[in-house]
Amino acid sequence: MNKEETIQELKAIVKPYIQNEEAFENLTEDTDFINDLKINSANLVDVILDIEEKYDIVIDNEAMEKMSNVKAALTIIETQLASK
Amino acid sequence: MIGNDVVDLALSKKQSRWQRKGFMDKIFTPSEQLRISTSQNPESMVWNLWSRKEAAYKIYNRETGIRGYFPLQLECDCSNQNEGTVHIKGFRYFTKTTVDADCVYTIAVATKEHFDQIKTMDPNTPITKINGIPYQNNPQIQELKPVSITHHGRFWCGITL
Repeated sequence: MNKEETIQELKAIVKPYIQNEEAFENLTEDTDFINDLKINSANLVDVILDIEEKYDIVIDNEAMEKMSNVKAALTIIETQLASK
Repeated sequence: MIGNDVVDLALSKKQSRWQRKGFMDKIFTPSEQLRISTSQNPESMVWNLWSRKEAAYKIYNRETGIRGYFPLQLECDCSNQNEGTVHIKGFRYFTKTTVDADCVYTIAVATKEHFDQIKTMDPNTPITKINGIPYQNNPQIQELKPVSITHHGRFWCGITL
């Protein structure tokens, strides 16, 4: 998995749900989905479902709990892809 | 301890596809799903239960410092459409929910008596956030008063004790 590539893919996934354009443009691994991108908490489940569909992985409840920022999402994607 | 959450039903209709595959299973327990599917207005019930979970989460987050995305662990027990409790890991919060054609609004409290003491805040009240948790800043008496704020679409609600 190429990290930069995955970040770009992740950006495309979250784009429809973000409400802070500036934080989105300056997205880094530390960017928080809710506090920085202002994604509505009900839409976080859409982000999770979109990631599952895109990578054909399952994000279980335990992994979902930690889905607070870009770094956490990358780790989850990487872990799930590795165990496929 | 108090928490609140508002859902603008017109905005949620645009923002969320609650009927998409997998959505319900990630957010609602089997008994909550049953309550939704047997409700006269399933969409309104989706946001009714969701706002209870969100309001309760705000108290849980403040009490424990735990931050995360675990809607399934916040289990709603509904006495009726407007009242109930939310349980998570041994904690229990009481909720009151109002529903109309435009919005769903829930207030959650840790102690039932607090329902009667809740005051609505002025939207211009200065707010300080510590670790993402909001407080009303009163410089005169150097006190940080816990508050809960929610906004979605056309609606803003701030409460304090």
